[in-house]
Amino acid sequence: MISIKNLSKTFNKNIHAVKNVDLEIAEGEVVVIVGPSGSGKSTVLRCINRLEVPTEGAIAIDGVELTDPKCDIDVIRAEVGMVFQQFNLFPHLTVMENICLAQRKVRGRSKSEANEMAMKQLVRVGIPDKADSYPRQLSGGQQQRVAIARSLAMEPKIMLFDEPTSALDPEMVKEVLDVMLELASEGMTMAVVTHEMGFAKAAGDRLVFMDEGMVVEIGPPSQVFENPTEQRTRDFFDKILY
Amino acid sequence: MSGHEDSNKKSLSDKPKWWDTFPWWGIAIVAILSWMGYQIVTKNSYELAWDRVIPGISITITATLQAFAIALALGLLAGMGQLSKNVILRNLARTYVEFIRGIPILPLIFTVALVLLPQLQNALGFKLSFQMRATVTLAIIYGAYMAEIFRGGIQSIAIGQVEAGRSLGLSRRQTMNSIVLPQAMRAIIPPLGNDFIAILKDTSLLSVLGVLEITQRARQFSASTFKFREGYFVLAFIYLILTLGLSLLLGVLERRMTRDDRGVRSNRGID
Repeated sequence: MISIKNLSKTFNKNIHAVKNVDLEIAEGEVVVIVGPSGSGKSTVLRCINRLEVPTEGAIAIDGVELTDPKCDIDVIRAEVGMVFQQFNLFPHLTVMENICLAQRKVRGRSKSEANEMAMKQLVRVGIPDKADSYPRQLSGGQQQRVAIARSLAMEPKIMLFDEPTSALDPEMVKEVLDVMLELASEGMTMAVVTHEMGFAKAAGDRLVFMDEGMVVEIGPPSQVFENPTEQRTRDFFDKILY
Repeated sequence: MSGHEDSNKKSLSDKPKWWDTFPWWGIAIVAILSWMGYQIVTKNSYELAWDRVIPGISITITATLQAFAIALALGLLAGMGQLSKNVILRNLARTYVEFIRGIPILPLIFTVALVLLPQLQNALGFKLSFQMRATVTLAIIYGAYMAEIFRGGIQSIAIGQVEAGRSLGLSRRQTMNSIVLPQAMRAIIPPLGNDFIAILKDTSLLSVLGVLEITQRARQFSASTFKFREGYFVLAFIYLILTLGLSLLLGVLERRMTRDDRGVRSNRGID
């Protein structure tokens, strides 16, 4: 479904954030990307919906090349949901309006269709009672769940999560991870950058360990955790797991 | 500081005293205006000046509104232009802004209204009155200032907002119109209000072209009667009424815009 070939991204001509990354993500697969900060994992994710334009290499979603000048990126992005570390809800709109905006403008749904879909997604993430609230009236965990609902309302084929729980207070991490776990169990294709190893074990089909812009190791989470083949992977997990 | 430690400690936990937050300045302004009004009403020579100056107010107000409206359009255009992806547009906008902002208003009024616009008139075959030429000049000047306000307001919106919009499939234009601009308005409206008042005051510069707004009328009155005190006293009074009234109005608008922002905002310093 997602095919990344020889992806490289260089910032300011000399900062090599991502170097020669190859990665295939199959339909319904949950791929979890971990690694130290600055290892390029977020950059890889952001290249998948072209928030970052690759310096080299090719990315194809459902066979459509993103780097092709003829590719209409807005069409692709409507099919690829993205959840950000900082939630990025629109503060001037209510929760309902947040979820309906793109449905109406991009999907061309009527107001009642969009509202119905929004309520459905709010029920799914467990906060239908917050439809008329403004983002600032919600906790971090609730905001992130609204952000997830906003993406899901577009009925995307793929969901990208860029450290979705890193900006949350500890007691709110679980409510967001629960939503993501459920999503994974329903068969959504997901690429998740996270430091939540518990989630990786529970939901991940494959774990990708990145360091210094390169993919060091890929495998089933349990194997990468317990029997990493690379020394760098072992060092990383030794530092973060106890 | 050290001498007041005791009272400081107390005031930290106390609610602010009413005299600490009372708008004394408002009382002072009202007192000054009342006194000025009293002079004008009771003294014959002031009344004379008033009668000569006040007919110019319609030109002052018309010029202000026209200049503000044109400047708003120019400012939005140039502000967005500076953020455009198009190289030519971006540089055109930047040149306009930098050029205008680098020259004081008075020389600009002379050169634009007396040289540039007349040449343009001849070339294109239209005719503008002195008043309109001066108004357009004012609009061109303030358009450049407003361009910076628009640009700043738009750039103050976090990049994450644009990314969220774009990653939902919204186009650049949709993201700008539905997400960025509505949020930017909050940052844009207060300084635009300041410029509105500044334009009102700067219509006084139209007097150098002989336009019969209030300043020109006050000059004429003073020069012909040698009652300089009365003429300029009345002029100052009229400007004060206009600008203070306007800023009161803008204050209400601003409060309405920011009311749902978050709770009460305090203008008192950090202890």
